[in-house]
Amino acid sequence: MSTTSISVDLRNEIAKIVGAGSVSESSERHLIDGVKPGCVVFPVDAEQVAAVLKFASGNDLVVVPHGGGTMQSVGFTLERTDILLSTERLNKVLHYDSGDLTLSVEAGMKLAEVQNLLAERGQFLPLDPPSHQNATIGGTLAANVCGPLQVGHGSVRDFCIGIEFVTADGTIARGGGRVVKNVAGYDLMKLLIGSHGTLGVITSANFKVFPQPKHTQTFVCEFVSAEELSACISRVVKSPLSPIRLEVVSPMGMEYVAGLESVRNPDNYSPSAKVAGATKWHLYLSAAGSEAVLARYRNELGVVLSKEIGGAEADSLWRRISDWQTTISARHPHAMQARMWFPMDATAKVLESAERSAVENNLLFACAGRPSVGNMNAAFLPIATDPASSMQYANTISALRAALPAGCGVSVTQCPVEAKARFDVWGAQQADIELMHGIKQALDPKMILNRGRYIV
Amino acid sequence: MVENSIAHELRQIVGADAVLDKPEDLQLYTYDGSTGQGRPEAVCFPQTTEHVSRILKFANKNNIPIVPRGAGTGLSGGSIARQGGIVLGFARMNKVLEVDAANHRATVQPGVVNIELSNAVAHLGLYFAPDPSSQRACTIGGNVAENSGGPHTLASGVTVNHVTGLEVVLPDGRVTEFGGKTFNGCGYDLTGFFIGSEGTLGVATKITVKLMRLPESVATLLAIFNTVEDAAQTVVALTSSGITPAALELLDGLMLRAVEDAYHAGYPLDSGAVLLIELEGLREEVEEYATAVEAICKKQNARETRRAKTEEERTLLWMGRKHAFGAIGRLASGFYTQDGVIPRTKIPQTLQFIETVGKKYSLRIGNVFHAGDGNLHPLIMYDIRDPHQAECTLKAGEEILQYCIDVGGSITGEHGVGMEKIDMMPKLFSPASLEVMKRLRNVFNPLGILNPAKMIPGARSCRETTMPGHASLGDPSKDFARMGGGAP
Repeated sequence: MSTTSISVDLRNEIAKIVGAGSVSESSERHLIDGVKPGCVVFPVDAEQVAAVLKFASGNDLVVVPHGGGTMQSVGFTLERTDILLSTERLNKVLHYDSGDLTLSVEAGMKLAEVQNLLAERGQFLPLDPPSHQNATIGGTLAANVCGPLQVGHGSVRDFCIGIEFVTADGTIARGGGRVVKNVAGYDLMKLLIGSHGTLGVITSANFKVFPQPKHTQTFVCEFVSAEELSACISRVVKSPLSPIRLEVVSPMGMEYVAGLESVRNPDNYSPSAKVAGATKWHLYLSAAGSEAVLARYRNELGVVLSKEIGGAEADSLWRRISDWQTTISARHPHAMQARMWFPMDATAKVLESAERSAVENNLLFACAGRPSVGNMNAAFLPIATDPASSMQYANTISALRAALPAGCGVSVTQCPVEAKARFDVWGAQQADIELMHGIKQALDPKMILNRGRYIV
Repeated sequence: MVENSIAHELRQIVGADAVLDKPEDLQLYTYDGSTGQGRPEAVCFPQTTEHVSRILKFANKNNIPIVPRGAGTGLSGGSIARQGGIVLGFARMNKVLEVDAANHRATVQPGVVNIELSNAVAHLGLYFAPDPSSQRACTIGGNVAENSGGPHTLASGVTVNHVTGLEVVLPDGRVTEFGGKTFNGCGYDLTGFFIGSEGTLGVATKITVKLMRLPESVATLLAIFNTVEDAAQTVVALTSSGITPAALELLDGLMLRAVEDAYHAGYPLDSGAVLLIELEGLREEVEEYATAVEAICKKQNARETRRAKTEEERTLLWMGRKHAFGAIGRLASGFYTQDGVIPRTKIPQTLQFIETVGKKYSLRIGNVFHAGDGNLHPLIMYDIRDPHQAECTLKAGEEILQYCIDVGGSITGEHGVGMEKIDMMPKLFSPASLEVMKRLRNVFNPLGILNPAKMIPGARSCRETTMPGHASLGDPSKDFARMGGGAP
């Protein structure tokens, strides 16, 4: 393990800004790609964030914004981490107008706490990313993570209505507002969502929230091939049905939604002891409505419907599906995980290409996600008896990238540190890199935020 | 650079028949649906991305403002050549380039008229969701620039929720692409950031949009109330009920009488307000929602709830709403509309405030708006020949917007800032926020040739001073030669 060191003088200076109690040594839980940050700072408001960033800018200190730490594996290895800027103490509810269905919270608030608060009024935020107990509002925005609810409610860009963030030089900026419709000024929310902490530190955000549906039901369909699966998805998309979720789990992916009581050894995927159902592709569809409405779903799905789940059993299943990537990380610390995007009609081709790239490189393949919105998570698992080399991962990704049709892409979200250096984890940018560098330059000219991670 | 040399240069690029520079032709391009005016030096109509690129290169080199313009239906002066220069009209870039039915996407040129896209894909059971009231005229390029809404964006979202990719020409003539057919790509969300930038970041030359499936069933209800307060309370009750209507519009007594006189939509003349409520979805769902909505309306003192029985009845109810602004001509020679947004819980008190403002200035103010979003459109009516009334109208408008800000709202929900509300931006955003927005504009538009003096006060502009001989280059709100006329 290595540590980024930062001088005692600089740490004392930071303590003067935020108070001695708000600076600490980093610990195991702050490791990023095996490296310990120089120190951890816990600002309590946007002004303190601004002061810390201003100081860091003036002293060429690299700052890594940190929420729940669930997405720190994403991106290239950081050049260094002088200051881990924790949003832990930015955890207040700023405004909640349940009648208007709007909410404003600080960035460090845990998503789970937000959901508990909303549930008291029968409302919710349609965000169900992995590790929702640890994920924070700011981190979810910065990493633009979503879960199965993306199908019915869109991603966070569709219901984040306002944002406050601090640019690298300590400027506190706000975009949007607290109302559900607003076109005043540039849409800064869109720029910060998915910026992976490279443009500013998000300090608070405002959302449109939704009433919880009164009754929901989950329908399960099973398929022997990716072609059959994708034909069914396209039939649902063309039908009048509007599912809240429409999630796919690959045969091998079932292992990680099974909710096993005793987890097998890390990196030991044992095909001889497959979980039930692990030979088929599973499609999970959830819908809200009265009995008459749900009966309609039953009818439209017809013979492909294999079973229905409701109540607590369904809630628990959906939690496990949302946590799919987290479960894989826990079980397979050396796995490579990636996010694939594609137009819906490329589903079968993409899944087939991903599997082939894995097999050809002696890795096992599992996936889960939402082909109807062109978003899937893939896992490439090393076989326990044959530890994967960095080149195996690199070759898998380049084979997959070469096989994907136009308009599709893949970004690696987790892989062993040694492997990261071997290939471009992000893949080709879909937008103009020159403009993105310009934007980075405009908000963080000294590159102190997450240096080296993204848009480099 | 003298005027006719600009036109000469443009003719070399787009052809002799695609440039206007005669005073009588330019006159038609001095205004849009808003109150402002500004005279361009030339208007030209590119036919290809290559044309746009060459025009921008030329303008960039010679510091000439470029003002992109769709159909000119905008209500905030976004397409007015405030500092002269070239108006870039998209009337000849009006093709639907691709319909990808399997993926629910279409790629269009910016000049495609909003409703024509929906018409072109209707046979596939698809449509383009954003539906501004001007949808029979306004263009998709304009929708992208303004991030347009419309009555049916309550449930399905505004333009930014329906565009996945763009081809954009930057001021130096470079052609670039943002996004694609999916929302999930890698890199900063430049597509999302560009939408609603009011022509200040680049010129969109291709737009990839998401198409929605036409609903299986639609119910259109008209809830009739004796007082506007009851109607406003019903909006609050509906919002928290958990039912999201596809559209939820409010017309107050003054407006519904004007509309009824003009269109005979069947709105009751003696009522205080009506709500137009549309529900969409599965047959079974729509039936249940309609029953629930009727019950809520009754509980909130609705005098009566009617349901359109035929497609004709439904069209008639909507015609009343979509053409409401046109009906104002029967009541006053001029009107000025605002686009403030408020939390939906504040609708009742805000309508009361608007009434107070009307009394204070002795002005009639009608309300017809997207109640479900809290997006107000108070219409202040005045006599265009009376300078005192015009003055009062401006003051009343500003007081209403200030109130919207004070209750936690915004100055514009869908019309844009443009030149009309540029001076109100500092009331909504801190100097630091505006400064960050300026930095970002300079990344895309470093010399300020694209739509100068719009949206962000004090942003860089290629002509810092007013060109002599051009009207309305100072405070746009002082220019009352023409007011109203567009439709939100």
